[in-house]
Order: sequence, then C-alpha cells, then structure tokens
Amino acid sequence: MARSKLRLRIFQSPVLRYGLAVLSVSVALGGALLIERLQLRNITLFLFAIAVAAWYGGTGAAVLALLLSCISFAYFFVEPSHTLYISRAHIPYFILFVLFAWLVSWFSSVRRRVEADLLQAHDKLKIEVSERSSLLNLTHDTIFVRDMSDSIRYWNRGAEELYGWTPEQAIGKRSHELLRTVFPSPLDDIQAEFLRTGRWEGELNHTKADGTQVIVASRWSLRRDEREQPIAVLETNNDITVRKRWEQEIQSLNQKLAMRSTELEAINTELEAFAYSVSHDLRAPLRHMAGYTELLQKKATSTLDDKSNHYIKMVLESAKRMGNLIDDLLAFSRIGRAETQNTLVSLEQLVREALTEVRDDTEGRNIAWKIGALPDFYGDRSMLRLVLVNLISNAIKFTRTRPQAEIEIGCADGNEDDLAIFVRDNGVGFDARYANKLFGVFQRLHQASEFEGTGIGLATVQRIIHRHGGKVWAKGAVDGGATFYFSAPKPRGHL
Amino acid sequence: MKAMNKLGRILLVEDDPKDVELTLTALEEYNLANEVIVARDGEEALEYLYSRGKFKTRSSGNPAVMLLDLKLPKVDGLEVLKQIKSEEKLRMMPVVVLTSSKEEKDMVASYKLGVSAYVVKPVDFHEFVNAIKELGVFWAVINEPPPGSVRK
Repeated sequence: MARSKLRLRIFQSPVLRYGLAVLSVSVALGGALLIERLQLRNITLFLFAIAVAAWYGGTGAAVLALLLSCISFAYFFVEPSHTLYISRAHIPYFILFVLFAWLVSWFSSVRRRVEADLLQAHDKLKIEVSERSSLLNLTHDTIFVRDMSDSIRYWNRGAEELYGWTPEQAIGKRSHELLRTVFPSPLDDIQAEFLRTGRWEGELNHTKADGTQVIVASRWSLRRDEREQPIAVLETNNDITVRKRWEQEIQSLNQKLAMRSTELEAINTELEAFAYSVSHDLRAPLRHMAGYTELLQKKATSTLDDKSNHYIKMVLESAKRMGNLIDDLLAFSRIGRAETQNTLVSLEQLVREALTEVRDDTEGRNIAWKIGALPDFYGDRSMLRLVLVNLISNAIKFTRTRPQAEIEIGCADGNEDDLAIFVRDNGVGFDARYANKLFGVFQRLHQASEFEGTGIGLATVQRIIHRHGGKVWAKGAVDGGATFYFSAPKPRGHL
Repeated sequence: MKAMNKLGRILLVEDDPKDVELTLTALEEYNLANEVIVARDGEEALEYLYSRGKFKTRSSGNPAVMLLDLKLPKVDGLEVLKQIKSEEKLRMMPVVVLTSSKEEKDMVASYKLGVSAYVVKPVDFHEFVNAIKELGVFWAVINEPPPGSVRK
C-alpha cells in the first residue's frame, strides 16, 4: 500500500512538473553528449527522459520534454551539428526519433491515467466498504465474518453488544474458542452439511465475555471466490435466550397441565366407579329390605297390631325414599360428568316441552300461566330442558296451597353480554335469609311433610347453568312467592 | 291357565341369593317358577348352556329366555352375553338383562351385544314383582321362542 502510494504520486506543482521535464531532458542531453564524445550515438536516453517526464509530470510535461528532446536532438546529433537545420538525408532519422518519443510519452500518460483510475476505484471501494460496515453496525443482529480457519475477520456492533467484546478484541480470534460454542450436533457433521449446501441454521449455546450463557438462533452462509473455493463464513446470530426460557416455561406448564389432567381423569374415573358402585351395590340391599319387608307385611299383616303394621309401613317408605335419593344423586353426578353438546336452542320451544312434561302435576290445579317472549339460548338442549322442568315443577309444587296459582316465565333485563331468564310464582316463597342454601345438594327449606322432594332439583339447575358459564339466583319472601333466575352468555352473532 | 301347558324354561343368572329368592317368589306368585334354572355366576350359566360341568347330564335344548344379571363373579354378564351371541347354537336365545344398574354404558354395551330387553330392578318390591311377572309371562308364555327351545 505504501509502495504504491509512492509510485503513483503525481507532482502537483506546475514548476516541479515542467522543471522535471527540463531536468530529465538536460540529464539525457548531458549523457548523450558524453556518449557522443565517446563515439556512441544513442537516442534511448532521450526516450527515457520523456518517459520520466510523462510519468511524473503529466501530459504537459511530456509535451515539453518531447519538444526539448527534438530541439536537442536536431541541434547536437543530426548533421549538420550545432544548428537546428536538418539535412535532407537525416530527416527520416529525425522523424523516427520524434515518432518514438511521441509513442513513449503517449504510453506513459495512458498508463498513468489507468493507474489513477485504479486508485480512484480503490478509494471508492474503501468508502463503500466502510459505509457497508456501518450499515451492518446499525442492525441489532449479531453479525460476524470468519475465515475458513475459524478466525474472526469482521465483528459488527450487534456482536459487540451481545457478547461484550469489541471488534479489536474479537478480530483474529477463533470464533468457536472465543464464544465457547456448544453445537447441537457434532461440528464435523455441521461443517460437512454447511460446505455441501452453503447454508446452515441452528441453535447454538455461546458464552459471553462476562461468562453468562446465551442461546442464539444462528444462520451461516458460505462465501466462495470466483474459483468456487470457500473463503469466508458470514454468521448471523439472534439472541433467543428469553424466548427459549418462555418456551421451557410453557413446556413445563404444559407438563404440569398434562399431569393435572391425568390426575383429574383418574379422579373422574374413580368418581365414575363410585357412582357405578352406588348405583349397583347400594340399590341391591335396599331392594332386598323393601322386598322382604313387603313379604313380611303380606304374610303377617293380619296377625300384627296397628303399631307393628305402622312400623312396617315406615320401613317401606324409607326404603323408597332412599331409592329416590340414590337415583337423584346419580342423575346429579351424571350431569357433572356428561359432555355438553351445545347448539342454538329455542327457549320458547323448550318451555312448551317442559310444560308437557309436567302436565300430570297440574291436573286439578288452577294455574294462570303467563309466558313472555323468550330468546334463543346457546347450550345443551337436554340439560337446559331439565333446568326448565325443575324450575317449573318447583313453581307448580310450591303454589299448591294457592287457590289461584300464578306462574310467569320471561326474559329479565340482563346486561349486555348475558341473557337472564326467570320463573316467578305466587307460592309459599322462602325466607330470604336462607337463599344461599337453596341451591345446595339435598338442602331443603321446607319440611318433607309440607312439600315432598329430595332437594336435588335446584342443585341440578345450578350445576347445569354453571356448566354453561352462567349464574343462578333467587328472590323471595315467606308467603310472598319466589322468582328464580338463570343467566348465560348471549349467543355470539345473535341478538 | 291355558299358558301353563306351554311354559318355557327360564334360566336365571343371579349371584345374590336374596335376589334369587325374591325373583323366585315373584315368579311363584304367578305360577311361573316351575321351570326356572338358577346359575350363580357367569361360568355356571355357560356350563348350563354348553351342557358341561355339573349340567353335563341335563336335558337338551335352550331355555326360552335367560334373565341375566350383569355384575357377576368369575365371568360377568356382558362377557356371558358376548359368548352367547358369538355362538351359532345360542345366539337366537332371547336374553333379558335384569340388573340394579341404570348406568348408560352398561345399557349401550348390552344393546350393542344384541340383548332382547334391558330391565332395571325397581327398588319398590311391588314394582319388582310386577316387572318379573310381566317378563315371565311375556318371554316364557306369550313369546314364541326360537326352534330348539325347551317347552314343558
């Protein structure tokens, strides 16, 4: 670099440039005169002087050197000597000299121009490279270039920021040693694939200058020269440590979740086995109790006194009641386990069906029905039907003491997202202080002698509505009727 | 009773002696108990149907109906059902599942195996007697059993 600078320096000052022309020709003339004295005629020295002037002085200096050389040549070496006159016989000789001199000066100046162009291109390239490097420095990605012996050749600012080494510290080091790279597979395999395809992508483990570890998504691309020989590797790395940590966290959460759901599944299976056992094994002895008691009643009723007959009757009643309790409890547990099949359900249609189902209970009763417009509901049809049947049959049951029962079913003002449906009656109502007990399993607010029932109906309603993402609540007063509400999210894209 | 002269044989498969007693009592009440064979578990039921073991010397022919409990020791009811339905000689025999369980999966499994009826024993003895009577009358008297069934 320093040598070429010296070789290609052009004199800037005109005095120096033209002075050079004069000086070189004078030196050539002196030399030529000396050689002449020694009986040697040589024009080469003049050509050399012109070349020197053209090289270092430019075109102007070349022309001056050419002129001076011509005059000197004509004056000293062309007969007659010591005049500028050229005899006819020596004219071709002189012309030949001028031609040579001109050629030399032309070649020199052309060559000088080419070298100048080259120098300019080189400077431009340097600027471009430095611009490009600063562009690479703008990116947050970590970019470095290493040669085929793994020695780092370029190190951008992203690399400095991520790893903590400055370019001065990093360049020249072996990248895998500096970064203590941990590869996902043997390096030889990676290298083989990389050389074959020219690309490689993968996750690497690096150690920073401060000793902490980073996980990077690494992309390598191979640079080849014009003879297709690999010369360098451009490695771009993205810090994915945080992402990896999240991924691991998600994975461990998923594992926990899978474990939980396995546990839940086991509990569910157990629950199912329990329900099955209840269904089978508890009912059998109950049936036997009822059976034998009835046989006893049949055989001994005439020989037993009234009290004994009453006891037998009580045993039978209790057995029957326990049978009902078991059935209700099983049905209730089934609702929790059953899969919901959600569709858009017309509540008006469902209310009509529920009324048909409870028709037997309304026989001989005087009931004024008031059924308002009802919306469509998104949910499991048979479960929602059970909700309505339970609420309506409750209303029928608890208005039994009224000469004129009034039952109203309608849509209450819910909020923006929810629909609220109510079933209102003018029956015996309930003490608002115990409203929270209404929806518990086997919870009853009335004595069995007043109103029959197992106390599972409202618990079932609550369970179904909860499974639909809704709420249940009730308002009432002793002897002041009751209103039961249930809500659920409005069907999307509807209403 | 006109039906008496063509009463079909009933195979009752039931492990619980109390259930056996109550069932027989119910059948007796309607004079349907004369031709009842009791098997106490699934294995015994199969021994009877294949005329082997302690039933090696029994008179030939299939029962007019089999009343089958599902929860049985050794070979359970569904397994018995599966074997019967895969056997050419037995598959036509009517089978009524008579069980305590109202479990849907049992019901579905039984019907899939080709059971003729599925009856849940009522807790109330009155209802139980009625159910047994109706079953006995229908399957052992009214229904025309497939050829090869034993009739008295």
